[in-house]
Amino acid sequence: MTFLEWRKFNFFDINSNVDKGNIKSALDDAQVRSMSSGNGQLVLGDSQGSIHLISRDFTVHTYKAYNIDVTHLIQSRHSSKLISIGNDEVGINPLIKVWDLSKPDRHDNPTCIRISRSVPQNRAVVVTCLAVCESSNLMAVGHQDGSIIVFRGEIGRDKGSKQKVLKDGNQPITGLAFRTQDKKTYLFVATLSNVQVYSIQAQDMKLYLTEKSFGGCTKRCSIMTESNDTQFVIAQDKAIYSLTIEGKGPCFVVDGTKEFLQCFRSHLVIVANDTASNIPHVRPGHVPGGHTVTVLDINNKFIVYSAMQAPVVGAVAEWGSLFLLSKDYNLHQLNEKDLQSKLSLLFKKNLYDIAIKIAKSNHYDKERLVDIFGQYGDHLYAKGDHYGAIKQYIKTIGRLEPSYVIRKFQDSQHIEKLTEYLAALHKAGSGLGQTTLLVEHTTLLLNCYTKLNHIDQLKHFLMTKDSEVDFDVNVAIKVCRQSSSEAALQLAEKHGKHAWYLKIQIEDHARYLEALQYIGKLPFSEAENSIKVYGKPLLDHIPHETCEFLKKLCTDYKPSNTPLPDLNHDTVERAQPDDFIHFFLDHSLVLVEFLEHIINYPSREKCSTQVYNTLIEHYLCLWSTTSDTTARETYVQKVMRLLSSDGIPYDKNQALLLCHSHKFSPGLLLIYKERKLYDLILSENISRKDYAGVLSCCRAYGSQNPILWQTAFHKLIKDPDVPGHYLSEVLHVIEKDKLVSPLFMLDALSTSSSVNVGLLRNYFLNVLGADSKATETEVSLAEKDTKDTEKLKSLVQQIQSKPVIFQGSRCSVCNETLELPSVHFLCQHSFHKHCFQSFSESDKECPACLPRNKDILDIIQSQEPNKTLNEDFHRELVKEGDPFGVVAKYLGLGIFNKLTLVTNGNPKRKIQSSQSPSTSKPQVKPLPSISKPANTNPFEEYDESKNPFGSSDNAYDESLNPFS
Amino acid sequence: MAYAYLFKYIIIGDTGVGKSCLLLQFTDKRFQPVHDLTIGVEFGARMITIDGKQIKLQIWDTAGQEAFRSITRSYYRGAAGALLVYDITRRETFNHLTTWLEDARQHSNSNMVIMLIGNKSDLDARREVKKEEGEVFAREHGLVFMETSAKLATNVEDAFINTAKEIYEKIQEGVFDITNEANGIKIGPQHSPNNPSLPAGPQGSSQGGGCC
Ligand SMILES: Nc1nc2c(ncn2[C@@H]2O[C@H](COP(=O)(O)OP(=O)(O)OP(=O)(O)O)[C@@H](O)[C@H]2O)c(=O)[nH]1
Ligand SMILES: [Mg+2]
Ligand SMILES: [Zn+2]
Ligand SMILES: [Zn+2]
Repeated sequence: MTFLEWRKFNFFDINSNVDKGNIKSALDDAQVRSMSSGNGQLVLGDSQGSIHLISRDFTVHTYKAYNIDVTHLIQSRHSSKLISIGNDEVGINPLIKVWDLSKPDRHDNPTCIRISRSVPQNRAVVVTCLAVCESSNLMAVGHQDGSIIVFRGEIGRDKGSKQKVLKDGNQPITGLAFRTQDKKTYLFVATLSNVQVYSIQAQDMKLYLTEKSFGGCTKRCSIMTESNDTQFVIAQDKAIYSLTIEGKGPCFVVDGTKEFLQCFRSHLVIVANDTASNIPHVRPGHVPGGHTVTVLDINNKFIVYSAMQAPVVGAVAEWGSLFLLSKDYNLHQLNEKDLQSKLSLLFKKNLYDIAIKIAKSNHYDKERLVDIFGQYGDHLYAKGDHYGAIKQYIKTIGRLEPSYVIRKFQDSQHIEKLTEYLAALHKAGSGLGQTTLLVEHTTLLLNCYTKLNHIDQLKHFLMTKDSEVDFDVNVAIKVCRQSSSEAALQLAEKHGKHAWYLKIQIEDHARYLEALQYIGKLPFSEAENSIKVYGKPLLDHIPHETCEFLKKLCTDYKPSNTPLPDLNHDTVERAQPDDFIHFFLDHSLVLVEFLEHIINYPSREKCSTQVYNTLIEHYLCLWSTTSDTTARETYVQKVMRLLSSDGIPYDKNQALLLCHSHKFSPGLLLIYKERKLYDLILSENISRKDYAGVLSCCRAYGSQNPILWQTAFHKLIKDPDVPGHYLSEVLHVIEKDKLVSPLFMLDALSTSSSVNVGLLRNYFLNVLGADSKATETEVSLAEKDTKDTEKLKSLVQQIQSKPVIFQGSRCSVCNETLELPSVHFLCQHSFHKHCFQSFSESDKECPACLPRNKDILDIIQSQEPNKTLNEDFHRELVKEGDPFGVVAKYLGLGIFNKLTLVTNGNPKRKIQSSQSPSTSKPQVKPLPSISKPANTNPFEEYDESKNPFGSSDNAYDESLNPFS
Repeated sequence: MAYAYLFKYIIIGDTGVGKSCLLLQFTDKRFQPVHDLTIGVEFGARMITIDGKQIKLQIWDTAGQEAFRSITRSYYRGAAGALLVYDITRRETFNHLTTWLEDARQHSNSNMVIMLIGNKSDLDARREVKKEEGEVFAREHGLVFMETSAKLATNVEDAFINTAKEIYEKIQEGVFDITNEANGIKIGPQHSPNNPSLPAGPQGSSQGGGCC
C-alpha cells in the first residue's frame, strides 16, 4: 500500500511532568472540565467549581469560581480577562462570569466583573460551547438543544449588552468560532452533521447564513486556525476538513477517531484515540487506551510531531510551547526544535527540498538559504542528478563562487547544464559586480552555445540585451566568429564594432560590396579609418565601387544614411588621397581616375606632391603598357601638361626618375632643359639616335658648355650610323675651339669606324704645328731655368766660402745714394742705417726680402706644429687604453682638417708649395693619413685575437654547449 | 481582494498525472519535479480577468489515489468547472477517463464545465496517447480538450482560463443558476444588493438559514 500520510518528522522535544505534580495536588480529587491559556498563564476549570491559574514557574493559584463546576474557559490572549461558564445551582441556567485577573479581591482572588445568564428559551439547557471575539465585542454560547446566544457589547460589562438567539435545528452545537475578515465578522457553527457560516452585521446583529457544508464534527473537534487559507478546521474520523467563509477548503486525510483539536502557531494539533484499529501493527510505546498526538505543519504539508501518549485531556499553547495535560494530570511541555536543528535533521536525511521549504517559510536570510541550495546541489550532484543540481546551483548565483560550479560541470557531458548555469549567471548579470561575472564566463557561455550548436539561443543571448551590455562584446564577437560568423556579424553591427564587422564581412564572407556599403554609412573619421584598413582587398575585388567611394571620401563625404546633405556645412572633412594611393598599386587605371577626379575637384585644396608624382607615375605606367596609339598620345599629353605646368608641386627629381625608368623621352627632355642638364639632353638624344636633336642641342647650349661638343664628338664618333655632315660639324667646332686633345682625337679615330682621316687631316696639321712651337718654347725655358739654378748654386757657394763685396750704391728703401752708416745683407740689399731701423722689425732680416721669405717661412711653420701633433697623436694612441677618446680629442685639435684640405687637392696650395724655394720640408713629412694610414685609424691596430666575437669562433668548445 | 465572481474548480484524474503540478504552475508559476502525493484535497486560488471582470478561481486539487476517492468525491458538488487530467505518457491514465467522467457526472451538478487535459506534452518522446485520441474522446463526451505541460507551463493558463470563459459564457446565457452556490459560482462582495442586473448577495442567499 502506498503511504497515505504526509511525510513525518520529529521536530519537538518533550519534557514530561514540568509542573512537578503541582497541578495534581491543586486539583485534589476534582476532574478537569475546561482548559485555556493566554496572557502568560494556563487556566484550568474543574468539576468542583474551582479555577486554577498556573504561572510560568508552574505554581498554581486556585480559587473558587462556581459552586458546582466550571465547564468552559476562555482566557483572553492579551488582557487579564477570563471568561468562564459554570454552574452554581443544579437546574438553573449556567452562568457566564468574566473575571479580571489583575484586580485581586480581599482574598487575593480575581474579581468577578460580570455575571450573565445564558438562557436561550426560558429553560435550562446545557451549554456545549463558547466563543469570544474580543475585537468585535462578540460572544457566542452554543447549547445542547441547537440554540446559540450571541452577545454583543463590552465583554467585561453586563450593562449595554445585547443578545440574540439563533436556532437552526435541534442538533447540539458542537463547535463555535468567530472569524473577522475584510472588516466583517463571521460565525462558524458546527453540529454533528454540518458546519454553517453566518455573517454578522454588527449594528443590528443580524445573522445571515453564508455557507453550509455537509458533514460536521463532535465536540472539541473543530478549531479556528490563524492561517489565511484554511480557516475553520473540523476533524472527522477519516480526515480533517477545512472551511473558509467562501466554502470548502482543502482536506487532509488523517485516520483515527479524534478527541480534540488545538492550534500551535501555524500547526494543527490532533489528539486521536490510539486504538489498534487505525494502526496496522502495534508500535513500540503503545499505551492501551492512550492517545496519539499529531502535530501537522499545514503550510508545508508534513507531520512535525507524532507520538503515542498516555491519554490526554487537554492541550494549550503558551510561552512558545505546547502543553499537554495527561489524564493523570501531569503537564508535558513540547518544545519545537530550533530551525538549525530542524535543518540539520533534514540534511542528515538528504531532504534538502523540505529544508528549503522550511527555511523559506521561516524567513531564513538569503545567505543561509543559498548555503542550503549549495548543499542541495552538491547532494544532487553526488547522486548523479546533474540536472537537478544545476537548478540548485543557479539559485546560489550571487553568493557561491561560480568557478566552484563551473569546475563541477566542466566535463563535456555536462555542457548543457553548464550552459544553463552560465545563462542564469548572465541573467543575474550586472547586479553581481565585476568580481563574480567575468569575461571568461561570457567566453565559456558562448563556447557552450556554439558547442551545443544552440545558435538561436546564442543569438538570443547576444541580441536581446538592449539596455546594457554585461559581457565583453569583443570577446563575444571573437568567440562567435569561430562558430557562427553570421551571429558575430550581427553582434558587431549591433554594437557598432565596425572593425569587427568589416573584418568578418571581408575575411570570412568576402562580401565586399556589403562591407563597402557599411563603411559608407559610418561617420567620416570612422569611414576613413575603416577604408584605410580594408581599402586594399576592397579595391582588389570591387575596384570601381571602391574608387567611387574614395573619390567621395576625399571630396564631399556624407554618411549614406544621412538623408540630405547639409548645405551650410562648410567645414567639410576630407580624406587625403595620399593615404589611399598604395591600395591602387595594381590598378593604375582606377588610380588615375581617382586622382584626376580629386585634382580636378573644384574648391579642393592643393594636393600633395605625392599625389602628382603618383599620377605621373601611373600615367607613364599606362602609357608604357597600352598599345593603343591614341591612348598613348593622350597620356603623353597629360604627362606633359603636368610636367610643364607651373605651380604643380610635383617632385622634379621623382618625375625625372619616372620618365627615365619608363624611357619617356618627351618628359625627360623637358626636365633636362628646365634644369639646364644639357649633357643629359645630349645623351638622351644620342641614345635615341636623334642626331638632329644632338646637333641642335650642341648648337644651342654648346657655347656655354663646350663639353657638350666634346661629348657629342665622343658619342657620335663611335656610332657608325651618324650621317657625315653631322660629324663634320662637330669636328669643326671642336677643332675651332680646341676642345679635345689631339691624343684623344687620335684615340677616337682609331676606334671609330665611320670617320676617315681625310676628315681630320687639317685638324691634325694645325694641332701638330701648334704643338711643335710650344715644345720649342718649353725647351728654351728649361735651359734658362737650368742656368739660373746653376747660378744660384754658385752664389750660395760663394756666400758660404768667399767674402762678399757689397757694392750696392743705393738704399733699397729710399732709393737714395748710400751713405754711412749703412746696413748690408747677403742678398745684396743695402740700406741707410736709419732707413733700415725705421723700416725693419728685426735687425736680422732684410726688409726687402722679408715679405717673400715670410711667405715661405709661414708655409714651413704652419706645417711644423702639425708635425709634432701627429707624433703626439700616435704616441698617445699606442699608449692610451681609450683610443676613441684620443681620436676625439685630436679631432678637436684639428689634426684631420689638414687631411681634408690636402685630399681635396686644393690646387692653390699645391702650386704654392711647389714654387717655394724650400719646398723640401713640408713634402718630406706628408700628412699622416697618407703616409701611414693605419696609424690614424685607432681601430685598425685593434688586436683581433682579443675580439670575443671575431675569429675566436674556432676556439669555442662545441662540447660545452648545453643545447647541442 | 474584490472580485465579480468566484468560480470553484476541481482537478481530477489518476495519481501522478500532474494535477498538483498544474495547479502549482497556475498559481505559483513553479514546477515541482518530485511527486508529492496529494493526501486529501489541496487548495489554490488566483485572480483572472475575463471580459474586464475580475474573477477569483478557487481550485481544489484532489488526490488521485483510489483510497482517497470517498473523500474527494464530496468535492465534486460545489464545483463549476473540472479539469480532468490524464498523462500522455501513460495509457492507463487515459483508459481510466471514463470512470472519472462517470464519477464526476454522478456527483456534480449537471452544468459543470469539464476540460479534458492531456498533460506532460513536453515528454513527447515517451508519448503513449496520441493527441487525436484525446480530441476524439473529448468530442464524444462533449468536453473541451487541450494538451498541456505543467513543466514548461505550456497551455496551463489557457486550460484554466478557457474553462473560466466557458463558465462565464454559460452564466451570460443563463444556464447556471448562480444563486445556488452548490453550482460553484459566487457573486463577489462588491456587487451591491440593489444592483438589479445581478441577484443580491447576502440577502438573497439566506434561504437555508433562519435569521432572527
Ligand atoms: N515532464 C513532466 N512531468 C510532469 C508534468 N506534470 C507533472 N509532472 C511530474 O509528474 C509527477 C506527478 O505530478 P503531481 O502533480 O504530483 O501528480 P498528481 O496528479 O497531483 O498526483 P496525485 O497527487 O497523487 O493525484 C511529478 O513527478 C511531476 O514532476 C509535466 O507537464 N511534464
Ligand atoms: Mg497531487
Ligand atoms: Zn735709405
Ligand atoms: Zn735683401
